[in-house]
Amino acid sequence: MKTIHKIFIAGLMFFITGGIIVSCSSTKDTYTAATDVEEEFKIEKSGAQLWGEACNRCHLAPSPADYNDTDWSTISLHMRVRANLTEKEITKIETFLKSAN
Amino acid sequence: MKKLFILTMIVGIGHISYGQTYNDFETDSTSTSQPFTPSKTQFMIRGYGHTGLNFMNSEGEKESSYVGSAFAPIFLFKHSDRLMFEAELEFVLENNELEVGLEYADVMYVLNKNMTVRAGKFLLPFGTFMERLHPAWINRLPTRPLGFGHDGIAPSSGIGIELRGAFDLGGPKLNYSVYSTNGPRLKDGSEEPEEAGMLLFQNFEDNNNSKAFGGRLGILPFADSSTEFGFSAYSTNGVGETDSEYEDVGAFLYAIDFSFVKQVPAIGGFIDIKGQYNNSNIDDATYIEIEDDVEEEYTFDNKSNSFYTQLSYRPTMAESDFLKKLELVGRYSNYNAPEGAEWEEQSEQYAFGLNYWLTWRSVIKVAYQTTDSVGGHDGGGTVNGFYIHWAIGF
Repeated sequence: MKTIHKIFIAGLMFFITGGIIVSCSSTKDTYTAATDVEEEFKIEKSGAQLWGEACNRCHLAPSPADYNDTDWSTISLHMRVRANLTEKEITKIETFLKSAN
Repeated sequence: MKKLFILTMIVGIGHISYGQTYNDFETDSTSTSQPFTPSKTQFMIRGYGHTGLNFMNSEGEKESSYVGSAFAPIFLFKHSDRLMFEAELEFVLENNELEVGLEYADVMYVLNKNMTVRAGKFLLPFGTFMERLHPAWINRLPTRPLGFGHDGIAPSSGIGIELRGAFDLGGPKLNYSVYSTNGPRLKDGSEEPEEAGMLLFQNFEDNNNSKAFGGRLGILPFADSSTEFGFSAYSTNGVGETDSEYEDVGAFLYAIDFSFVKQVPAIGGFIDIKGQYNNSNIDDATYIEIEDDVEEEYTFDNKSNSFYTQLSYRPTMAESDFLKKLELVGRYSNYNAPEGAEWEEQSEQYAFGLNYWLTWRSVIKVAYQTTDSVGGHDGGGTVNGFYIHWAIGF
């Protein structure tokens, strides 16, 4: 077990180091919508589409009307971490929920 | 007395006059106030509760009871767009007592768009069932699969620190989490000889200096995020008490999980498939059993595993509003505890359910479950159960 443990720890350290380097190397700290140039090549998903896809992975997608804007921003931060959603996903979902409630 | 009366009158009338001056409605604060803007600091109570009726038949012994009155409030304190404290309490009526538990209580900070740090007591991402799917309003059946919960082999929470996040790979997505916790403690049999060799994950104050390290890597290979594969591992160098003969007993656990959720027009609704395999491997150790007042040493190959898979279907594209709210569920699970242990057990379970969704967060579940066991605490046999439960998230 000790050998497995050592190999596992080494792998974990390698992964953490790599993850920190990659995540911190980005110059964009917050999500910004795709530029016009990008849109020519890639059609981004809407917040409504992401709301249907991401929320339904665990539970039924929530009704936007059930919470106000302030509540949705709290819930969004909670769910971003709990469900390991990307910043892009949660930003779009939050915007959709606030616009539709 | 007269002077005091006059003085009081002057102060009183003066105070009223002063107050009237500021009650001029033209300059009243309500007419000049700014539009409402929410503060960055926000507080919310969310959570869930459930209750139900169980009919159980264990080898001809029948019993029924209203059960499961559970209340699990979740407290969310959002200090800023990056900083939050979250905690969940759990109040459960069980064995004629009110049991109170702290499911999790952690502080988290978003370091950057790909990484968040959490510290405190948090749900462990060992597979997905305990972290994401166990709350009663999310779990499609009134019971948990074999291998989870009390005496389960999958850890549910731990006290420590965690880094987690997700990457958008331009269609496919990757999510990760790595953590270090106090780790489990080994039941050496001194208190409960029939559970010698089991891991106890409620290790609030570490019993040794060996910390547990673990993580989960999840991959969503398709752009529609319908499918997710996950691999989790959890390792510790020592689970026994410091200076005991079990100090160097190590443990390595891993889990493989799978999820597929998608609305399929061909079958007119949502299909949801979940699955998780758990494996626990603990170093061999020598334990003591007492038979006829004589102590005997014994050991066994301390390996356990469990598996579950669940399929549910909601006819969301049906024309009838009633049918749209129905959900059919089926689940298979098994659990194999080590041969030679006092808690040796081989169990298989089938569960079938019909749910009616009142809202997206409130569900009535009707389910039938049959479990066949060999060994275990109750000596094995067949246990059939019929459940009617009502769960609500809020």
